[in-house]
Amino acid sequence: MKTLPIRTSYLRRKKIIDLAARAIFLLAGLIAAAMIVLIFVFVAGRGIQVFLPGYANAQNLGEFLTGMRWRPDLSPPVYSVLFIVINTVITAFGAAVLAFPVSVMTALFIVKVAPKSLRLFFTTVVEILAAIPSVVYGVFAAGSITRLVSGLAAAFGYTTYGGSSMLAVILLLAIMIFPTITSLAIVSIASVDRNLELGSLALGASQMETNFKVVLSAAKSGIFAGLILGLGRAFGEATAVSMVAGNKMFGPTFNLFDTTRTLTTTMLSGLSETAGVDYDIRFSIGVVLMIVILITNLLIRYVKKHIGGVTNE
Amino acid sequence: MSSRRKFADAVRTAVTWLSTSISVFVLAAIFVFVFSRGWKTLNWEILTSDYHPKNIMANVVDGEPGQFARPDDLPADAVFSERYGFALTDAVDHQKEKQMVLTYIADDSPLTAAVNAASGPTRGDPITITEDVQIQRIDYMSIERGRKSPAGFMGSQQTAAETIERLEADGESLIGFYYQSAGGGMMGSLLATLMLIGLTLAIALPLGVSAAVYLHELAPKNRVTAILRSLIEMLSGVPSIVFGLMGMTLLFSVTALFGITTQSILLGAMTLAVILFPVIIRQTEEALLVVPDGLRMASLSLGSSRTQMIFRVILPNAVPGILTATLLSISRVIGESAALIYTMGVAINDKPEIGRGGTTLAVQIWTVMTGEQPNFELATAISIVILIIVLILNVSVKLVSARLNRKWRT
Repeated sequence: MKTLPIRTSYLRRKKIIDLAARAIFLLAGLIAAAMIVLIFVFVAGRGIQVFLPGYANAQNLGEFLTGMRWRPDLSPPVYSVLFIVINTVITAFGAAVLAFPVSVMTALFIVKVAPKSLRLFFTTVVEILAAIPSVVYGVFAAGSITRLVSGLAAAFGYTTYGGSSMLAVILLLAIMIFPTITSLAIVSIASVDRNLELGSLALGASQMETNFKVVLSAAKSGIFAGLILGLGRAFGEATAVSMVAGNKMFGPTFNLFDTTRTLTTTMLSGLSETAGVDYDIRFSIGVVLMIVILITNLLIRYVKKHIGGVTNE
Repeated sequence: MSSRRKFADAVRTAVTWLSTSISVFVLAAIFVFVFSRGWKTLNWEILTSDYHPKNIMANVVDGEPGQFARPDDLPADAVFSERYGFALTDAVDHQKEKQMVLTYIADDSPLTAAVNAASGPTRGDPITITEDVQIQRIDYMSIERGRKSPAGFMGSQQTAAETIERLEADGESLIGFYYQSAGGGMMGSLLATLMLIGLTLAIALPLGVSAAVYLHELAPKNRVTAILRSLIEMLSGVPSIVFGLMGMTLLFSVTALFGITTQSILLGAMTLAVILFPVIIRQTEEALLVVPDGLRMASLSLGSSRTQMIFRVILPNAVPGILTATLLSISRVIGESAALIYTMGVAINDKPEIGRGGTTLAVQIWTVMTGEQPNFELATAISIVILIIVLILNVSVKLVSARLNRKWRT
């Protein structure tokens, strides 16, 4: 048998090209993975800078974290975020309280209850809601939710600033996080082991009892993942909320019909220059925002462990 | 089954129906609101015109009066000039300011031939006076005073009727118009959005696809790779406004290398590319997953190198997945606002350039909504454009991924 001559130079070149390509692909992967670290380092770096002694008009960190006023218009300006954090948490959780049950019920309906012919229609509705950009939600909220809210306020004998209020923010956020929670709930409900269901039915439970007591608790892991994602969206949503929040200068706000101010609306309000303490303090808020989201994630993970009985792993 | 349990079941079923109908109602409400407010405003003119109105001074070539008949289809509130053949209508713009709009020009009216009267190199160039411009002042030769006189807001007339009356009574001939082009269009933002989409994809696709190829085809299955994956996954949990902050610190210094010292479309594109990494990597990986291992082995056993295998066999077969990633990315770019407010600014730019700031359609909505008087008409009109594009993209994603799933089914 004659052996085919393969030149070693060709093999070596092949190897070099392989190594080079591998290095390039690895570099791309490293860049993508490094971004999250870089984001935190750079945003935190510029956010902390405001409190360091060398900074012109340096702020007091303790006052920033515990104060109840946000007055960039005063001289010297006062920046403190505690009431903003409280507002943000109230509005986000308020939205979650409204949206979560509706989302889970909708997901259950789409997967288990709806007639097969309607399933695609309702799934599409949720997908379209998820695809609508946040500014469009903002325009919708500023034009119609605010009107609804000011009507409601009038009925209860309150006055609002053109409908811009905490209630408007909560309703808007509830609508915006609904598709997020629903689509994750749909996936997790659909992936519940059919045998669990059959077991429950065989023990004499009706289909709806099975859906509510067995399917939902078996799907809780995915449902809570959706809740985390939804809350993350509620915390991070900026443009739409800014259109209806009203940006109150002190707080915290507990009256549903009063204006409010969240971390993100503060970051967007009065944005004009790109230097100075009024600009750099927004990076500090960014850091606070990320910490709030992180703490919420941990909290929900803890809650999830203590709810429901059936595991689906 | 006891009647009580039956009742409880009925309630449970009703609750799920009710919940779902809420979502349908909300979606319908959004569409009804956006279309009912914006549909009237949306037309070809607004798609292709600039946002900032331009002041134009135009002199008519031949201002001698003639005889014109009022056309029958002219609305009752339009005031018609029988000697000069045009009509003015009183209007209020979205800033609640009184305006006089030129609503009709007769076919052989003096207005049909005009030249630029503003000083500068373009003086004397022909100008077409179009309908729907806002008239500030009309210059005419006055019989009473025997010299050039102004009429309109910058004369002393406050309404279209007074202005026309003055011209008809005192005008020996027509000299020229000082007017504002209608403005309020979205052409600049449309162009900026297209530039942003192109640039973002040019940055994000090569990097994202390469990263996905590394993670799926080349990376060893160990702890380090798992950490890389979860770091990338964490990106998708960061709020977009924080990406905006990141753009202004980290990426701003990168664009500074290109000599760009302000917020710019390039900066916006780089920031969006980072936002899109997790989306593109996940979609591409999903496409790589369904490429059968047999293809890899066949390719390698025929003597191809790994690089050849990736570029000749794997990637061509992953094209539908990459296409899905592209479509999702475009839809994300069109909808993004918070990050772009930081990195591209909020000033609407009618002539966008890569190295300068500008607004996308979404940011233009933000700008017109947060001005002194929110401009709902324009905001909802732009919303319709965005909604239509996003819906088309969504349908395309479904079609493409249906194709992807069909391909390897045996």
